[in-house]
Amino acid sequence: MGVNSKQLSERLSKRLANYKLKDGVISRIAERILVDGLEIRRFDVCIYGICIDYFTDKIPRLDGIFSKVDVGRVEIFPYGIIDWDRFLVRVGFGVDELEGMNAGNRPGP
Amino acid sequence: MIEKAMPTEMRSGFLPGRIVHLHPTRLCNLACLHCYSDSGPQHKTGLDLESLERSFALLKAEGYQSISISGGEPLTYVDLLPLIERARAAGFRVTMISNGLFPTEKLGAAASKLDGLAISFDGMAEAHNRLRSRSDAFARACSSLAWLANNGHPVAAAISLTRSAISELPDLADHLVALGARRLQVRPTALAGRAKTMADASAFTAADRARLYLVVLALQQELGDQVQIQCDLAPVHGLWQQRAAYGNLLASCDRQGAICPKDRPLSELVNPLVITDTGVLRPIAFDFNPCFDVTTIETLSQDSLARYKRQGLRRLQTLIGSALARLRDGAGVVDWFDYCTRLSEEASAEL
Repeated sequence: MGVNSKQLSERLSKRLANYKLKDGVISRIAERILVDGLEIRRFDVCIYGICIDYFTDKIPRLDGIFSKVDVGRVEIFPYGIIDWDRFLVRVGFGVDELEGMNAGNRPGP
Repeated sequence: MIEKAMPTEMRSGFLPGRIVHLHPTRLCNLACLHCYSDSGPQHKTGLDLESLERSFALLKAEGYQSISISGGEPLTYVDLLPLIERARAAGFRVTMISNGLFPTEKLGAAASKLDGLAISFDGMAEAHNRLRSRSDAFARACSSLAWLANNGHPVAAAISLTRSAISELPDLADHLVALGARRLQVRPTALAGRAKTMADASAFTAADRARLYLVVLALQQELGDQVQIQCDLAPVHGLWQQRAAYGNLLASCDRQGAICPKDRPLSELVNPLVITDTGVLRPIAFDFNPCFDVTTIETLSQDSLARYKRQGLRRLQTLIGSALARLRDGAGVVDWFDYCTRLSEEASAEL
């Protein structure tokens, strides 16, 4: 799906809200980003499509992430001495319909 | 069934607090097409203030912390100000939702006594005015919100969206934040009351719920720390993982050391609790099926609550237990309280 300059400059919330993004795409995005045991804290576009910061107070189960399709990149940060029981899990999911949008605003994970 | 008993200070269900939704009247200056309580100008009656006040002490003793007043339009309730005063004197945090159409003097008088006030919105001007059948409803609601914010009242916007209005949420959020809203509460329109007569196209599909949830996530990112945005939708698996929040309601009396539900305060079992304009105490939602009703404010007493906990509560336990079990293999996002309310209709049909 081609992305024109107007779409590139449009906010993510507006693109998601707009029914031009078909229900099937929305359902696929939701299915990808909702990961068992991980709470979404940051949700943004990036060079992969959508990049998400999750927090968890349990050791992250990577099978829950890698069972998803189109995982571009995963990074896990233990908070260490700041908070021993907290992990930040940063995942980039490929979403063709959003790929490249606002890529300059935020580096990939 | 979940058998884990939880300490009293922990959550009761999926709400952070223990809340009473009070509808003192269904009288309203509007008759919105999507009104879940079917309110309108024809409902002239309201609850008796003295009866309500008597119920406050017992509800406080049962662990409820907040009273959220809606209606009808609360500003049409003649005893609104003394109601707020007496609820606060009983120790409740009191909030209210208004359509923002009344003069600011009246709104301001209530706001100065409240702990929080939200103005309701349904979309941008065209959608809002169409649903409210009034051409100036949006402009006046916006004006009220701005007036409250400019006069130092912490004002929120309660946004109820039909599926066709989801696309307007980013612009609406920008507009309301610019006017001074510091909190946005977003929920799908409940298919209840007058909304049941709307076109089928207004009913949310699973994809619509997912879309609204994603839009809210994106808005949280875009609006940053300047505004809180809450949504009634939640991931199914996330709720399943928090199912222990219903541990008090679903605790087994046979388990050693467990506190039996019948021995717990009502707020640990029924949350939120609704008081309808006819004085009925009802679990979870205004349109929850009446076969689950707790009691009425006229008959409310320690005895009537004890009787409910021994007998009537069983039905709610079964329903919530069943609803939680269905989450286990579910996916996507859900409007939990609306989901339970729809299940209550199915349960009543089976009785």
